[in-house]
Amino acid sequence: MREGGRASEAAAVPQSDLILGGRRFPPGRLLVMAIVNRTPDSFYRPGLTWDESAAMERVHEVVTEGADIVDIGGVPAAPGADVTVAEEIDRTASFIGRVRAAYPQVAISVDTWRHEVARQACAAGADLINDSWGGWDDELPATAAAAGAGLVCAHAGGQRPRTRPHRVRYDDVMADVLRHTQLLAGRAAEAGVPRASIVIDAAHDFGKNTWHSLEITRRLGEMTASGWPVLVSVSNKDFVGETLDVPLAGRLAGTLATTTICAWLGARIFRAHHVLQTRQALDMVSAIRGDAPPARAVRALA
Amino acid sequence: MIVTAALCPGPPLLIGELTGAASVAEDLRSACTDAVGELIAAEPEAIVVVGAAEQTEGWPEAGPLDLAVFAPGPAGPSQAGIKAAANRPTSLGVGGWLLTACGYRGPQILQAVGAAEPADRCARLGAALAKAAGRQALLVVADGSARRTLKAPGYLDERSAGFDESVERCFRTGRLDDLLGLDPALAAELMAAGRPAWQVLAGALAGRAVSSEIRYQGDPFGVAYLVASLRLDPVGTDDGGSGNV
Repeated sequence: MREGGRASEAAAVPQSDLILGGRRFPPGRLLVMAIVNRTPDSFYRPGLTWDESAAMERVHEVVTEGADIVDIGGVPAAPGADVTVAEEIDRTASFIGRVRAAYPQVAISVDTWRHEVARQACAAGADLINDSWGGWDDELPATAAAAGAGLVCAHAGGQRPRTRPHRVRYDDVMADVLRHTQLLAGRAAEAGVPRASIVIDAAHDFGKNTWHSLEITRRLGEMTASGWPVLVSVSNKDFVGETLDVPLAGRLAGTLATTTICAWLGARIFRAHHVLQTRQALDMVSAIRGDAPPARAVRALA
Repeated sequence: MIVTAALCPGPPLLIGELTGAASVAEDLRSACTDAVGELIAAEPEAIVVVGAAEQTEGWPEAGPLDLAVFAPGPAGPSQAGIKAAANRPTSLGVGGWLLTACGYRGPQILQAVGAAEPADRCARLGAALAKAAGRQALLVVADGSARRTLKAPGYLDERSAGFDESVERCFRTGRLDDLLGLDPALAAELMAAGRPAWQVLAGALAGRAVSSEIRYQGDPFGVAYLVASLRLDPVGTDDGGSGNV
């Protein structure tokens, strides 16, 4: 909203370089984080990359399509059969090691809320811990710091991991998001996580209904004004489905529209299933903003 | 003295402005408005709304629920100047909204009952409400388990079906005393948020002959909803009777 934007722009903290695994990403560079789930029952195309060789195939594919970060998770966000710490480590750590070996230049994140898993994942080569559940495990910052990894600090409205929001209400959802993500980011910095590797995430749909997710999208500029790099994870989510009244398979257009708005408002990392399409939407935003030239412009110039 | 009573669930989606352009759960909504309409038709001097919340306390009537807590933004419900009462518990907010939506303009008495209150305290609270002078109608806003299906807010708990069935039986047979036997710990595990409010109802109508009409029963979103009208035989005492004669 213009009004909210104006107030925060006045006090906006400029963005600085983001560093992941030794690679430096300047503020204008928009990053695609490709989702590779090592789960038999993930939300989007269940079981697609459950098998380890299928998952590796998927990594080859997303890197070719332009992924900057590969996000590897072993537990679905939805409630379901319990996945133990050992099982989660089993699903993620050695696979991360394989991806690391195959793609030394690609950043790797591990999608987990548990510090035990994060520790093993980082030892295997992960550069970033993607904690979508908003700091449920207090030991995560110290684990990231010890491993020299980055940390995603998200807002899940206080929801316990793998639970659904039920009649959630906020006096001001964006104020709550700002308060919580900045609290976590501050704690991470205090624990010794490099400031240039701390990322914040409003976590669309986590502890939020569709109206709340639309509101945080509309007001995303208030997050980017904090100076912390902002990650958005909107791909195929239910708020897109409810907004457009479309099933899971019909959410690409809504996902890309949301992605574009978030990029325009200053988000820098985009967690996505459709890597190629997301890459193109972001490249378009970069060109419109003037951060990058068109790939080839000869029309009317000959 | 309580002259009539109704049971409605309290999901925010009863409020049309919260569910967007599509029409949602029309049958549930009309069952609720029919039940509340029957309360209003009894021409009570006040309507007491009881709903579960964090703690037991009365709420001021002024200021309805601020719908922006659920639906912020310019396309959400427009309610200029309502911000002040944003903290009203959802159950009482939805109950008050139902009364207003059905055209009721008389006094409302809003009573929250704490989610952790044991059955005996709930019953005592109900008995106290029933002692109030004047002809009062009672609207109890209470939900069954939110763990009815895999897609339910609380995921599936197999025990939810039997639990909700036992609650429904109490209402269908008019044997409300049996509601006092519900186990609070089990109810909490099953996310059956209505448990304390049902037990307040049982306390309020203790000893009264109740005939009921179940107007709706279902779980279209994984939460058990029950809508009922409770018709009471007049008590043989003058106004102010304890209801326990």
